[in-house]
Amino acid sequence: MPPSSVEVSRSPARPRARRILRALAQNFGLVLAWVVLVVAVIVYCIIYFAQQGVLPGNFEATSTINNTMPLVLTALGQTIVILTRGLDLSVGGIIDLTNALAALNFADNPGTMILWTVLILLTGAVLGLINGALVAIGRLQPIVVTIATLSIYQGLAIMVLPQPGGAIPPAFTSILVNDSGPWAGLYCVGFALLWMALRRSRLGVALYAVGNDPAAATAHGISIVRTRLLAYTMSGVAAAAAGLFLAASSTAGDATTGDSYTLSSIVAVVLGGVSLFGGRGSGIGAIAGALLTTMIVNILFFAQIDPLYQSFYEGLFLVIAVVSTMAIGRLIKRRR
Amino acid sequence: MAEAPKAPEQPAPRPTSRLPFGLNSDRRHILYAILAAIVVFAIGAAVRPGFASFAGISAVLVVASFVGLVAAGQTFVILIGGIDLSIPSVLNAAAILLVTSTLGDDSRATYGIALTLGMGAGIGLLNGVGIAVLGVPAVIMTLAMNGIVEGLMLGLSGGLTCQSCASYAPGVVQAAVHGTLFGIPLVLYIWALVTIVVSIVLSLTTFGRRTYAIGNNPIASHLAGINVPLTTVLLYALSGLFAALAGILLVGFGGQASLGMGTPYLFESIAAAVVGGISILGGRGHYLGAAAGAVSLVALTTVLQTLNMPEYGRDILYGVVVIALLLAYGRESDSA
Repeated sequence: MPPSSVEVSRSPARPRARRILRALAQNFGLVLAWVVLVVAVIVYCIIYFAQQGVLPGNFEATSTINNTMPLVLTALGQTIVILTRGLDLSVGGIIDLTNALAALNFADNPGTMILWTVLILLTGAVLGLINGALVAIGRLQPIVVTIATLSIYQGLAIMVLPQPGGAIPPAFTSILVNDSGPWAGLYCVGFALLWMALRRSRLGVALYAVGNDPAAATAHGISIVRTRLLAYTMSGVAAAAAGLFLAASSTAGDATTGDSYTLSSIVAVVLGGVSLFGGRGSGIGAIAGALLTTMIVNILFFAQIDPLYQSFYEGLFLVIAVVSTMAIGRLIKRRR
Repeated sequence: MAEAPKAPEQPAPRPTSRLPFGLNSDRRHILYAILAAIVVFAIGAAVRPGFASFAGISAVLVVASFVGLVAAGQTFVILIGGIDLSIPSVLNAAAILLVTSTLGDDSRATYGIALTLGMGAGIGLLNGVGIAVLGVPAVIMTLAMNGIVEGLMLGLSGGLTCQSCASYAPGVVQAAVHGTLFGIPLVLYIWALVTIVVSIVLSLTTFGRRTYAIGNNPIASHLAGINVPLTTVLLYALSGLFAALAGILLVGFGGQASLGMGTPYLFESIAAAVVGGISILGGRGHYLGAAAGAVSLVALTTVLQTLNMPEYGRDILYGVVVIALLLAYGRESDSA
């Protein structure tokens, strides 16, 4: 974007209002995602009040946040991959496999729990690294690679845990998923801070650069292979963490529990204002997108729509979100 | 056949990649897929006598025909560098629509089949419009459509609990799969007919030429006067049509519809195309390869199942085969 960099260097001379406007325009998707989220929460509260006569309380907030945490994590990983012009369709399989491993191996003593938490996150890293190696070093198309590894990871998950079962010790559940209040919201704040740190790190700059213009990134000494490897690895770790969260909140394991997250994570990322063409967007937007996805489901539930239709609405909102963000993008471009 | 082994020893005429007997790399890949099928049948006959008997081969071919029909549609969209992820729910919805619209009544079979094929083509058409007219990336559009159709299918059939959902497929549809002519199952005639028609369309018609042209270079195709959006829409409609056809025949094969019956066919159709040497980047490959790929993959699974390979083994195996072939064929085109 050569024109904007010229304008930015001139910006101190400009009035402050225009600078704020510019910042708004540059982070349009992110701002829109949070605004829509706030609107969705208000709509939810109104519908809830109309039906129950009270405002949603601690229980609703807690269960909403706890139910969204796996999606928040998966969407953050997906964002990192999409920023590099990739796509990770295998996240569902990684969640399946790590969820199955957790249910099978967790025992009720701190040592085992810490050991297996680390091992499961490492498993996620290795699974993601395999994706990354095939995409970055093997130079294969991300879509086909991750569909293939999705099939492999799903197969492995069923091999590990043929029937839903296993058990998660209550101690682990109470640490990750605290039922007494929406404490998991603090994780979201933590992830947002982590994202800001990542955005300012060398790796963060590399992620955006590779997604915006791989050739220019290479010319500036950024290794595309290394950046993509790390992106898919981080997505694997995030999906593994989501698998742990799911295990903790359901207190058991299921080798197919993650399957729906492939679609949901992409929905969340797109609703969060991240461009599917790479290089644009923010993990903070993706967090809003994930919360928004859950809020939409909540609203549909209270509007007495059969939950069987859930994937219908997810698909519909995905198409609407993609089409409208592209239309807005075109509009902004024309006005400049 | 004697010339085939010579192929790798001829590095000199690489730029044109014209080998004796016109064995360019595309045709070589078809040959590999056919040879793979023959080798698998030979191994099968060795481990279990009777596997390569007439009855054994025709049983494998019947199962392969469903994969092959889905792969016909997938081939069309992969040839233009696209992908159709909506196949699982289109196939499943087609199976349910056929039984609910005919209620197993032969007199309503024509109406039911027309309705079902129309639904498949209509959904494909919407995919095509989303991709070619609205500019949504193919993965996202078809993934969203998969969710939309799945949600509608689940919601409208009440999770397949509706009374008419338990109907059987009409007798004529069951007969079209199970009936035989000269000792060969009728479904194989249908598949042979589809293979011939698809091959003629791709190789001998302007529509086929346009398809390859778009896959190789959409911009050049546009400049050459090809209506790229129209062709794209038609190809996705064909993919939906073939998925619906496979759904009809599959419900004729099994008698009743069930949830999740379309799930394996997404990855199997992609795997068949990849094994058949169809470039996932578009523009190269032939349906004959995908058909041979479907036979060799199904034969391989059948052999391994007789050796007590569990169900999940198929998922892992297909994933590994696809990645291995992508790496092998990808390298080849890199050096060319």
